[in-house]
Amino acid sequence: MKWELRPARDHGLTPAARLRSSGREPGLGSLAIATTWRGAVRTYLRLAHSLRVDGLEHLPPAPFVMVANHASHLDALTLAAALPRPLAHKAFALAAGDTFFTNTPVAAFAAYAINALPVWRRHTTTGDLDALRARLTVDGAVLILFPEGTRSRTGAMARFRAGVGALVAGTRVPVVPCYLAGAHAAWPAGQYLPRPGPLHLVIGPPLDFSGTDRSRAGLIAVSDACEQAVRALNPAQREGSPE
Amino acid sequence: MMGEAYGHAVTNGIVLAAGGVLLLAAAVIGLLSATGRVNPALRRELWLRLASWAVLLPLMLGPVLLGRVWVIGAVTLLGLLCLREYDRATGLFREPLMAAGVALGIVMVNFAALDHWYNFFMALFPLTVAVLAVLSIPLDRPSGYIQRTGLAVFAFFLFGAGLAHLGFMANDRFYRPLLLLLLTAVAINDVFAFTAGKLMGGPKLLPATSPNKTVSGALGALCGTTVLVACIAWPIFRGTPLDHWYLLVGLGIIVSFAGQAGDLMLSSIKRDLGIKDMGAVIPGHGGLLDRFNSLLLVSPAVFHYVGYYVGFGLDQPTRVITG
Repeated sequence: MKWELRPARDHGLTPAARLRSSGREPGLGSLAIATTWRGAVRTYLRLAHSLRVDGLEHLPPAPFVMVANHASHLDALTLAAALPRPLAHKAFALAAGDTFFTNTPVAAFAAYAINALPVWRRHTTTGDLDALRARLTVDGAVLILFPEGTRSRTGAMARFRAGVGALVAGTRVPVVPCYLAGAHAAWPAGQYLPRPGPLHLVIGPPLDFSGTDRSRAGLIAVSDACEQAVRALNPAQREGSPE
Repeated sequence: MMGEAYGHAVTNGIVLAAGGVLLLAAAVIGLLSATGRVNPALRRELWLRLASWAVLLPLMLGPVLLGRVWVIGAVTLLGLLCLREYDRATGLFREPLMAAGVALGIVMVNFAALDHWYNFFMALFPLTVAVLAVLSIPLDRPSGYIQRTGLAVFAFFLFGAGLAHLGFMANDRFYRPLLLLLLTAVAINDVFAFTAGKLMGGPKLLPATSPNKTVSGALGALCGTTVLVACIAWPIFRGTPLDHWYLLVGLGIIVSFAGQAGDLMLSSIKRDLGIKDMGAVIPGHGGLLDRFNSLLLVSPAVFHYVGYYVGFGLDQPTRVITG
């Protein structure tokens, strides 16, 4: 008989520190809030943005990493809401710590509603990366991340940074490339609230980096491959004209 | 029938004494701080503990003074918050269906207490255990079945069926002095154990389970708490079938023994899990369970002891909600 008594990764943290922990694991209360929020977001995306999702059949079983272009606050909401239920409960969006986790009410919203985990831009330590890798390999989580590092101000995709490689290189955790079209037009950076407009999410086949080493060259190879795969999913590009 | 109603001398005495001890502690810590007799780290720790007590005491005593519904509401909330701490410490939260089953059981058993429906209150223990035993079977995931079911049944026993006895006591018209006695006696039991252990020293009680507890501390607490409970319970149960010195001593022994057993039970849980505290919500104390562990076993033990001789709320209307 195998017993596995494993306390929550965020056990022993004060409520405020727990919100900012990359080891935060949702319990029953968080699950109830997240389920309610997800239902509301799905309804909103359907009504206000006529969200269309292609390629759901490409989603592998958890764990995996979803990477996408980043042009709007709608991106993480849409990717998380598009996941089918068993996966949605395991999904965490990586969000900028300096934007979402410095103020406690905002951190509570990010943690409980969006199920966000903080990433401290330019201050990410090896320990932080190891903790995130453990969320994938041990907990079987789904991580949603935007390797451009920040929202595009023009809608055009920027180069991917090497961070994604540090999470998946040399592991059997696949990366699922996604492209979300229409988010920049609906809610560009600097605008207070989103306005209605069509959204189209395309999910591509998973990429495997189990044979890639964690050297600098390996990490760049991962981010380049991810970037190329995401760009190839742009519906406008696939139809022959840039969006 | 127990003593008198609201305004009972024991009720007033315990509330005044609790407030007095808090003020005295503040004065002593203030004096020690002013004279520089304690280092800054210890001073901060003492003030933190005192501040936590200043918040906890009104939260504990307030519902007892406010009335039956408040007591049962507070016990329900305490049970759910204890479940949250326990499921995060043991990993049961990774089985949300089981955690939800226990939470529903806690709400149901406290509802039965609020309804003053004794038969349903008692029936809910075997019924909820039966539900928890079959709840995860439809998941078709036999791996880990015994662990998740065992953890859930244990949680329901502790924070549902066991703790809810405290709320059921409030169905008696004269519950206030007894509940206040229990709430303060389990805290004083810890103080007696600590003080006797420090003064007398001697062999450890169960060093692998709780390295700081001594045999002298356990016996000191047993003697001290028994005498204290027997003396304070005497005016509460005057004229009832419990009004015999040996029965009141029996009540004191039960409070002290079950209090210490609850403490050691939580220590065993924490040692098995390899954690120091069950949570961090009470500054200076740890988790709620680190503070309220002694009540978990005292509640059912005292309920059935007093119930055997005196009964609870026998002259009160029953099934007040479900009619």
